[in-house]
Amino acid sequence: MDPELIKDCVHCGFCLPTCPTYVLWGEEMDSPRGRIHLMSQHVEGTPVTPEMAGHFDACLGCMACVTACPSGVRYDRLIEQTRAVVEREHVRAPEERAIRELVFALFPYRRRLRALRLPMRLATRLRPLLERVHPSLGAMAELVPPPARPVRLPPRVHAVGRRRATVGMLVGCVQSQFFPQVNAATARVLALEGCDVVIPPRQGCCGALSLHSGRDARRFAKATIETFERAGVEAVVVNVAGCGSSMKEYAEVLKDEPGGWAERAAALRVRDLAEYLVELGPVAPRHPLPVTVAYHDACHLAHAQGVRSQPRELLRAIPGLELREIAESAVCCGSAGTYNLFQPGPARELGDRKARHVLATRADVLVSANPGCSMQIAAAMRRSGEGEMRVAHTAEVLDASLRGLGARALGGR
Amino acid sequence: MSDPVLDRLAVRFEELLPAGAVITDPVRLRTYECDGLTHHRAMPGIVVLPETAEQVAAAVRLCGEYGVPFVARGSGTGLSGGALPRTDGVLIVTSRMRRILEIDLPNRRAVVEPGVTNLAITEAVREQGYYYAPDPSSQQVCSIGGNVAENAGGAHCLKYGFTVNHILGLEIVTPDGEIVELSALDPGYDLLGAFVGSEGTLGIATKITVRLSRTPEAVTTLLAAFGSIEGGGEAVSAIIAAGIVPAAIEMMDALAVEAAEAAVGCAYPEGAGAVLIVELDGPRAEVEHQFAAVERICRETGAFEIRVAASAEERAAIWKGRKSAFAAVGRISPAYIVQDGVVPRTALPEVLAGIDRLQEEYGIRVANVFHAGDGNLHPLVLFDDAAPGEGERAATVSGRILDLCIEHGGSITGEHGVGVDKSRYMPKMFTEEDLDTMQLVRCAFDPRSLSNPGKVFPTPRLCGEVPGVRKGVHPLVESGRAEQF
Amino acid sequence: MNAATGPGAALAAAGVTIRPAGPDDAVAGVAPRWVALPETTREIAAVMRVSAAHDLAVVVAGAGTTLHWGRPPERCDVLIDTCCLNEILEHEAGDLVVRVQAGVPVETLTEALAAKGQELALDPPLAGGTVGGLLAAGLAGPRAFRYGTARDLLIGITVVLADGTIAKAGGKVVKNVAGYDLGKLFTGSYGTLGVIADATFRLHPLPAARACVVWSGPTLDEILAAVPAVTASQAEPSAVELDRPAPDGPRAVAVLVEGAAAAERARAVRDLLGGEARIADEPPRWWGRLPEPGFVEPGGPSGGGGVLLEIRTVPSRLPGLFAGALARTDAAVRGSLASAVLRVALPAETDPAAAAAFVSALRAELADEGRVVVLSAPEPVARRVDLWGHVGGLALMRRIKDRFDPDRRMSPGRFVGGI
Ligand SMILES: Cc1cc2nc3c(=O)[nH]c(=O)nc-3n(C[C@H](O)[C@H](O)[C@H](O)COP(=O)(O)OP(=O)(O)OC[C@H]3O[C@@H](n4cnc5c(N)ncnc54)[C@H](O)[C@@H]3O)c2cc1C
Ligand code: SF4
Ligand code: SF4
Repeated sequence: MDPELIKDCVHCGFCLPTCPTYVLWGEEMDSPRGRIHLMSQHVEGTPVTPEMAGHFDACLGCMACVTACPSGVRYDRLIEQTRAVVEREHVRAPEERAIRELVFALFPYRRRLRALRLPMRLATRLRPLLERVHPSLGAMAELVPPPARPVRLPPRVHAVGRRRATVGMLVGCVQSQFFPQVNAATARVLALEGCDVVIPPRQGCCGALSLHSGRDARRFAKATIETFERAGVEAVVVNVAGCGSSMKEYAEVLKDEPGGWAERAAALRVRDLAEYLVELGPVAPRHPLPVTVAYHDACHLAHAQGVRSQPRELLRAIPGLELREIAESAVCCGSAGTYNLFQPGPARELGDRKARHVLATRADVLVSANPGCSMQIAAAMRRSGEGEMRVAHTAEVLDASLRGLGARALGGR
Repeated sequence: MSDPVLDRLAVRFEELLPAGAVITDPVRLRTYECDGLTHHRAMPGIVVLPETAEQVAAAVRLCGEYGVPFVARGSGTGLSGGALPRTDGVLIVTSRMRRILEIDLPNRRAVVEPGVTNLAITEAVREQGYYYAPDPSSQQVCSIGGNVAENAGGAHCLKYGFTVNHILGLEIVTPDGEIVELSALDPGYDLLGAFVGSEGTLGIATKITVRLSRTPEAVTTLLAAFGSIEGGGEAVSAIIAAGIVPAAIEMMDALAVEAAEAAVGCAYPEGAGAVLIVELDGPRAEVEHQFAAVERICRETGAFEIRVAASAEERAAIWKGRKSAFAAVGRISPAYIVQDGVVPRTALPEVLAGIDRLQEEYGIRVANVFHAGDGNLHPLVLFDDAAPGEGERAATVSGRILDLCIEHGGSITGEHGVGVDKSRYMPKMFTEEDLDTMQLVRCAFDPRSLSNPGKVFPTPRLCGEVPGVRKGVHPLVESGRAEQF
Repeated sequence: MNAATGPGAALAAAGVTIRPAGPDDAVAGVAPRWVALPETTREIAAVMRVSAAHDLAVVVAGAGTTLHWGRPPERCDVLIDTCCLNEILEHEAGDLVVRVQAGVPVETLTEALAAKGQELALDPPLAGGTVGGLLAAGLAGPRAFRYGTARDLLIGITVVLADGTIAKAGGKVVKNVAGYDLGKLFTGSYGTLGVIADATFRLHPLPAARACVVWSGPTLDEILAAVPAVTASQAEPSAVELDRPAPDGPRAVAVLVEGAAAAERARAVRDLLGGEARIADEPPRWWGRLPEPGFVEPGGPSGGGGVLLEIRTVPSRLPGLFAGALARTDAAVRGSLASAVLRVALPAETDPAAAAAFVSALRAELADEGRVVVLSAPEPVARRVDLWGHVGGLALMRRIKDRFDPDRRMSPGRFVGGI
């Protein structure tokens, strides 16, 4: 934990109201300001006590605090460093360790995830039992969406009309398994906007899960860089907020690696889909889409990448579409990567809170750029019994408009 | 914990409060060691997080039973160390009391718990065309209870007044643990007015009724860049002399602009020696009329660039630099002191010149941000805490700025409060008699001095015997014309 | 007691003008023995020290316009007349601040400020009062809706306590949070905490223009139905006043609009009120005066002789009040529909029992959502009612009184709970 980074914090508290754990519990130790204070205690010699570790573990890594901070505190860096220290110095209880191992063994690997899909469906029925064994297992089961028809994407999708750019596309581990249609929509939108889309077939995990949990992500990062270097693209477009944010950090992750890795990472122009489309400017005609949309700011997009206005801009530009804001939009829905697996209690509370706000918009469709968020909020809405809402990725909404499919095309799974 | 009294008290708290509402673990306790003023630190003996007024009252009564002092804390953004805990005492934090209890638009009021943030009130009524007027720069985080305790102000208080002008009722827990309702409707002494701004020394506010104001029909925000602070100051005087009371007139000097630029990229005009933000609001016809006058005045007093916000976004962009100025200074200086002093508006030029002289004398940079309309200065005294002696020199400069304010008939604090930080300046502003008289109020509320002791007043004073033992039965009672309450 | 060592001699030796009291000096029937005419704060302190040494009860009088309000003092030995504390101490126009001695007549101050294009935005409902009296009685007028009451405009105060201590609080800057706000405590304290020696106020520029929308003749229902839209309107009226001389007599509502473009905004208000309303340059004659029972034509002496009440409530309670207790009497009502502060006067000849029942009925009607204070009443009525009604925090108030005036010598008994 870098004392210089800690010192940037002037203790103003501006970060408190958007911190999900502070919103839930209203206590200093579970606020960004409090966590930074805990870090400084550690730097000053206090060992990592179980209490301290608990407050760091409870952090969702949503980075709302980074957005809110006027002093430019790099909480993102701080918490990553801290998690690494916690992993190193803090001995966890055995069952907690087991759950963590399970998640890290499964999620970053597409094939393992695929294999898991069926058993997970089974698990849905076993949820009460799993819940009793460990709440995390229950959470895993609850989140699983119904299986998606596999979509096979070609290695290259050609631009429609004049080619304006050649871009790479990351398909994402969870996305490609549970939401393959989003990847398909993304590729189509890019192509319709004049991009050749290169989709390297053997791309691995980008390392997001590890990075956000204090584990070593360097191996994943290097592999991903190599993959896209080979693809020969001008930019890498990412439609999963969590993956995008960690890929944008590659240069930082690899800064001490020999072999010019940091420069290679920096050369990879990583862009979120919405960010990229706004940069590129629209050419394809938008067809009317008469729906009301509630747009959810995925933390890894809004806070980690600062992409807030672009998706809204794209959505508003669709004729007939009405965009509604969700109250407390800066507060995390509780999904945050592996959070709902490790901290099912608070994740659930945050999900419920978010679901209430989303339902209050009375929109037809909930749109976000992160499959984790959609899964989380949809589950919470189901649980609440107050009503459900179709969910869609920004790419799917754009796809429906560009292709003139009409409102009904949205949210079909 | 080594203090046996606190140990016993903690056990009693555990019995009384919900699970997880009593904090005794030292690592956790330490996160409460300071508020927004970080150079005063003290680890609280115990922290409690009550959820209801009854719990607060019970906690206060327990403190009384054990003779242990207590300190209230809201969001901990205070800049005078008002919420500095006591090592031998209890910190009562309102951050779990954040329900908006009632919104009553026909009567233009809302009833909220003390932990609700200032901005949350406005957000709850904005769509219906109302807002809560006092707007401290920290409004997104500071609690309304903390606002009441500090009588918080903000940029828009020039026209609309301070917290005290917008509080219609309070439920307080007195230092002896009683719950008392105070209403602006009540005849009798203005206890409401006395409590607001008392910095937690007269008890804890547990429920607050605030006035809601109607959103103005029109708002115009103008940013004018001047070559120098003097030019800006002249514009301010001329605006006031023209009989215009803007919603806000804020000024920043070149250094403050530099910091804001570094932090939020506010893109204020380059080369400005001072930037003036003037906001007019009210009925459209009135605003348009006044706007023309303000624009003319700015030009006449030498503004080299004037920008007018045409939309809510542009207005937000203009304000962004100003509102983030305090914390933003962290970008241009390793450490800094936020000062808060007030001078009569007409004395502004002299005082600013005085601050310039201090900068030279001590080799310390001072960035100036101020509510120019009401003469409230926020000099930010910059220093490098790694450079030996600089911290002390900065503290001296900061103190001498207050001396300047007092010399010119001003005040040592316009909105941040006295707290622990400025209690030693109180005797410079007030005589011993003045302070003793204020102390009478303290003694009436808190004869044992358990509620936030050591704040506001320089030396702890004993209240002594409760005086006024009545000489016999009250004649009105005797004659049956009044009853003893 | 020996004349040379008694209180009279001590007072005479204090270096302050003292005269023996005459029958005209009685305070609500209680005759003082001496009248002191201090010219400075120090002289007040000298009087107070002598009073403390000789256990003399003290009542302070300005112009005496509200001296009969509240209960009569239990005793009164010295009447401090503030007439010689009549200086405007400082008026820095550029700061919009004025500091005045307590005995300055409000009218004098108003004129002096107007000469500089400024005003103290309080409109006391009684003519002829002093600044000190205005503060001690906590009087407010129609524009309180926009500017607040005396406590909101007071920014500094100097007081002399019962033992002669001179203390000040606040200052001469508008924004100031150093120390407790004693000014607020003394505002509306009826002289029971000490003597107000001088006061500092924040001022406002005189409005560039003003216009008043007057609607005469509508029914109360019509008025009450129209007013919420006016108070909530973005035309920002400064005041919305009602005049209802009798339940079945003529009635009028007047809305004051001040500031640039007043005429235009007044038209917006008129449209909200309806076709009958007219725009005038100045408010009607009854504006800002106490209600006058029995006088259909305004202009007579205010509040004299009869029962005068103040109702403070919230706007949503007004219709119920007018349909209920206020409909049934010959009460004259004037006051602000915007801030829901009404003053009610009953004719002097009202039967005391009926007056008391009326007050009770009003209180019952309002319950928690309002207060009814009997500002003044003839003795037979005063005996039958609790003048103040419910007072939150009375125990704390007593404790404050005990600290400030432990011997109960400052206007004893005049105020809430017999303070
Ligand atoms: C960046 C920044 C900008 C700021 N800008 C402004 C500004 O523009 N204007 C301004 O006025 N202030 C400003 N402040 C100061 C601060 O935000 C205010 O003083 C605010 O009112 C404090 O609220 P809080 O909830 O943080 O209170 P805390 O800091 O927790 O407490 C402040 C004081 O209030 C007492 N207290 C808290 N809650 C209660 C309660 N329920 N009952 C009784 N006493 C209580 C505490 O004991 C303490 O004395 C700023 C602070 C920061 C960090
Ligand atoms: S990352 Fe999110 S959860 Fe963690 S401290 Fe910041 S705001 Fe709170
Ligand atoms: S907003 Fe930034 S500086 Fe302020 S407390 Fe949070 S992290 Fe620290």
